[in-house]
Amino acid sequence: MMTNYTITRTDWTAVFRAGGSGIVAIVRTVRNIFTLALRTPAGRIGLPIVLIHLILALLGTWLAPYDALEHHLEHQLEAPSWQFLMGTDVFGRDILSRVMSGAGSIIGISAAGALLGIALGTIVGMGSGYKGGKTDEVVMRIMDGVMSFPSLLMALLVLTSLGKSAVYIILTIGVVFMPPISRVMRSTTLALKTQEFVQSARMRGEPVPYIIFREILPNTWSVLAVELSVRLSYAILLASSLGFLGLGVQPPSPDWGLMISESRRYLVAAPWVALAPAFAVATLIIGVNLLTDGVRQARRLPLKGTHP
Amino acid sequence: MNEKQQGIAPLVQVDQLAVTFYTPTGVVHAVRDASFEIMRGQVLGLVGESGCGKSTAAFAIMGYLPGIHRVEGHISFEGRDITEMSASEVRELRGNRIAMVYQDPATSLNPSMRVGPQVEESLQTNLNLSSQQAHERTVRLFESVGLADPANIGRRYPHELSGGMQQRIVIALALACDPDLLIMDEPTTGLDVTTEATILDLVVDLKRRVRAGILFVSHNLGVIARVADRVAVMYAGQVIEQAPVRELFKNTHHPYTAGLLSCVPRPISEDEVTTKLISIPGVVYEASRDDIDACLFASRCPMVQDQCQEEAPEMFNAGNEHESGCFFWNDVQKGLWEKEIPREEIDHEGSLVLTAENLRKFYGRWQRKYLFFGPRVKPPVRALVDADFDVRSGRTLGVVGESGSGKTTMARTVAGLTPRNRGELKLRGEDLAPEVEERNRQQRDALRMVFQNPTASLNPQLPISHTILRSLRKLAGLNRKESRERAAELLQAVGLDPAYLGRLPGELSGGEQQRVALAGAFAGNAEIIIADEAVSSLDVSVQAQVLDLLGKHQREEGTSYIFISHDLGVVRYVSDDIMVLYAGHVAESGPADSVLKPPMHPYTEALLSAAPVPDPDAKPTTIRLPGAVPTLLERFQGCFFAGRCPRKLGPICDQTPPPERVGPDSHDHVIYCHITVEELKAMQQ
Repeated sequence: MMTNYTITRTDWTAVFRAGGSGIVAIVRTVRNIFTLALRTPAGRIGLPIVLIHLILALLGTWLAPYDALEHHLEHQLEAPSWQFLMGTDVFGRDILSRVMSGAGSIIGISAAGALLGIALGTIVGMGSGYKGGKTDEVVMRIMDGVMSFPSLLMALLVLTSLGKSAVYIILTIGVVFMPPISRVMRSTTLALKTQEFVQSARMRGEPVPYIIFREILPNTWSVLAVELSVRLSYAILLASSLGFLGLGVQPPSPDWGLMISESRRYLVAAPWVALAPAFAVATLIIGVNLLTDGVRQARRLPLKGTHP
Repeated sequence: MNEKQQGIAPLVQVDQLAVTFYTPTGVVHAVRDASFEIMRGQVLGLVGESGCGKSTAAFAIMGYLPGIHRVEGHISFEGRDITEMSASEVRELRGNRIAMVYQDPATSLNPSMRVGPQVEESLQTNLNLSSQQAHERTVRLFESVGLADPANIGRRYPHELSGGMQQRIVIALALACDPDLLIMDEPTTGLDVTTEATILDLVVDLKRRVRAGILFVSHNLGVIARVADRVAVMYAGQVIEQAPVRELFKNTHHPYTAGLLSCVPRPISEDEVTTKLISIPGVVYEASRDDIDACLFASRCPMVQDQCQEEAPEMFNAGNEHESGCFFWNDVQKGLWEKEIPREEIDHEGSLVLTAENLRKFYGRWQRKYLFFGPRVKPPVRALVDADFDVRSGRTLGVVGESGSGKTTMARTVAGLTPRNRGELKLRGEDLAPEVEERNRQQRDALRMVFQNPTASLNPQLPISHTILRSLRKLAGLNRKESRERAAELLQAVGLDPAYLGRLPGELSGGEQQRVALAGAFAGNAEIIIADEAVSSLDVSVQAQVLDLLGKHQREEGTSYIFISHDLGVVRYVSDDIMVLYAGHVAESGPADSVLKPPMHPYTEALLSAAPVPDPDAKPTTIRLPGAVPTLLERFQGCFFAGRCPRKLGPICDQTPPPERVGPDSHDHVIYCHITVEELKAMQQ
C-alpha cells in the first residue's frame, strides 16, 4: 500500500489567479521562489547570497560600522584590520561601510532599469507582433538598428548628452534592453496569437489592447521570468560599468564601479580597495544567476517526498 | 493461425507491469497492472481512451521511458527479462529486434536527410551491410511497403512526401532489420481516413508476410477491428479485458468495452442512425490517484454492485481465450449502455440564415523572383475556390473532406478570422464584412465558433468563467451581476457544476473543457455555431456528450450548425445537410441522406469506403485513394478530382471542369462529376 503524500504543489497559475489581490500574489510568489530555490543546490547557494545583498540594499547604510563618507585621515590605505574589516581607501574611508552603503544604489538602479526595459520591450514587442504586417516589419527594423549599437556605447551616448543622474541611468538601461526583449516578446506573441483562445477573443469583438494584455500577456509569464533573471544580471554589470567609467553615481557617494575605478592607482599597494567592491559585484551577479537557475531547475523536479 | 501457435512460447510476455512516473506535478501511475502476450505473426491490439496507459505500456517494452520513473513487474522478450537488462543490452535489442512506428511520421524522420540514406544508415549500422547492399535492400523495402517508384523515392526529403508516404517510409525503416517485434503507436491517428485505410491494408499485409509480432496501439476501435488478431483493452492503467478480436467484439464481457463499442457512431448502414450515441459518465480514474481495493471502473459502471467497491477484481477466464476483469462478466449484455433513443430527424426546411456565394480564399500572393521585380514564380495557394452553400435555420450543415480540402479555411472565412478574397456572405440577407473586427455586434453575436482543441480555446491562465463572462458582456450585453448568474446557468446547461467557474482550464479534462467552450458559444444569441472538428480530439466516450449538448441546444433554440469533421460517422450522425469538399472545391452537397445513401460522387464514395468500421467481420472495402490532396497552386484544367479519381472516365476529366448535376432524390442535391447521375447510381447497386 502506498502512503498518501501531501502534495505541496507550486501552482504558478494560482499565483496569477490572485492577480486582483496583488499583495497576496506577491507573498505567494516570494514563498514559491523560496520553496523552489531550496530544492536545488544552485538555489540553496544563490538564495542566501541574494538575500544578503537585498538586506544590504535596504539597510546597508544603517548596518555599516562607519559613515561611508567619513574620512579617517590617520588611517589612509590601511590593510584590513579589526578596526576596519576591509581596510581603508586613500582618504581613509572605511571600505566595508562604503561597500555596504553602495549596495542600495546599484541594486535599485539595475532592478529599475531591467524592469523598465522589460516593460518597454513587452509593449513594443507584443504590439508589433500582434499587429503584424508592415507595422511589424518597420518596428522590428528600428529595433534592429538600436540593437546594433553596443550597449555600453549606447549608454555612454545617452548619458553624455543628457547628463549624469540616476534617472537617466535607469532610462538608458531601459532603452538598451528594450530591443532584445521586444524580439523575444514578439516571437512569443506570434506563437500565441494563432491560438484558439485569441481567435475566440477576436470573435467576441475584444479591443486589441485587451487581447494583448489580458489574453496574451499572462501566458508569457515564464518567458518574462527568464528574461527578467537574465536582464537583471546584465543590468548590474552595465550599471557598475557605467560607475567605473564615471558616468554613474557621482563621487563622493559610494558606488561599486566608481570605487573600483578610483582604486586603480593603488592596485598594487592596496589591492583590498578594489577587491571588496569587485567581490560585491561578482557575488551579486553569481547569486542572481544561481538563484534563477535553481528556481528554473526545481520546477522540473518531481514533487518533494514523492520520489522513492 | 492461432491453433498452430498453441503451445509455442510467446514472443513477448508482459506480466503485471506497473509504471510510475515522478513528475513536477506529482506521482503518475501510468500503468497499474498490465499483463498480455504477443505471439509471432500476430497483431495484438491495445485499445483504450487517452490516459489509460497504452503508450506507456508500449514504451516500457522498448525500455524507453522518459523522466524519473519506476517499473515493476516483468517484460520478457523471448524468455529474457527486459526490466533486468543493462542499458546497452536494451539498446542492442531496440536496434535489431524491436522496432517502433510512432504516431507522427514527420517527426520520426530526419528532415535534413534524404529518406533513402536514413534507411541505408540503419542497415549499415545494424546489419553491417556494404553501401551497395544497403541501397538494394532499401529499394526492396520501399517496394514492400507499397511505395510507388521505390528506386527513386529514396532521393527525396521527408517534406517532399505526403503524410501517408512518410508513414510508409517509417514502417520501412522499422522493418529494415527484420525486427521480431514491431510496436506501432497510433500509426494512423494523424492521417486522413483515406490514407489510414491504405496504411491499415499495409499492416494487414505485413502480418501475413513478416514473422514478427506486432503490438498495435490505438484508441480507435474501428482500426483495431481491422488489423488486430487479439485485443487487450486498457482502462486506468489496467488491462481489463482481453480476447481474440472477433470474440471481443461479439461477446463483450466487460462493461467498459461494451461502453466504448456503443460510443462509436457507426458509419453507413441502414438502421444505425436511429440509436442515440451513448457516453460513459464521469472521467477515467485519474493516474495521479493511488491504487484502491476496488474496481477502478466502478464509479462509471452502470452495473456496479457492492462487491465492486470493496475488492479489486482479478482477471476471470471467460472461455474462448477470453479474459475479463469484471466480477459480473457473464452479465454484460449487448444493450447494457444503449438506451435506444432515436435521434430526432429534422423535417422542416428551415429559413435561410446564411448564404455564401463564390466564396474564395487564396493564401499569400504571387511571389516574384526578386522580391518586387522579375517574373512571377510562385502562385498563391488556392485554399477555397468559389464555394456556394446555404445554412438553414435549425439545421446542421456537415462539412467533410480530407485535410487540405479547405474545410477549415471555409470555417475561418465565414467566421471572419481570415478575410475572404472574393464572394458574398449574407447573414439573413445582410452583407457580412470579410473581417470579424469590421462586423457589428449583432453579426458577431450571431456567428460563434467552437474550435478543435479545447485546451487551446480556453486561456490557460484565466479561470473558465472568463470566456463565458466576456461573451455574455460583450455580445449579450449583460451587466456584471446578470452575467454571473447567467454563466452559472450556462455551465449547468452543459452539465457542469457552477463551482467550476473559478477553476483554471488545466484542472478540467478535455471533454469538460470543450463543454465550457460550448457554454461560451451558447452565451449570446448565436444563430450559427461553427464547430471546426469540435469533437475530433475528444475520446469517444465523451464525444457523445458534446454531440448531445449540441443537439439539445439546437432543438431548444433552433440554432444552426456548420459542423466540420473528417469523421464521416460523426458527420452522418449530426448532419441534416452535407457538403463534401475536395481541394477547395465543392464536390457534392445536399441533404445528408441523398448524399450518403448511397454515395454518388466518387470522392464521397471513396471517403465512405475508407472509414474504419468497428466490426471485425465487416467486409474490407476496396476503394482506396492513393496519394494526398494536391497542393493547390494551379487552376484545375478539368475536374479537381481527376488526379485521384478511381472512376475516372478518360481525357474529358482532365480537360473540362465537371458539370453541375442534380441528384436523383432531391433538387438541393448537387453533384459535380462528368459521370451522369444514372450511371453513378447504377455503380452503387
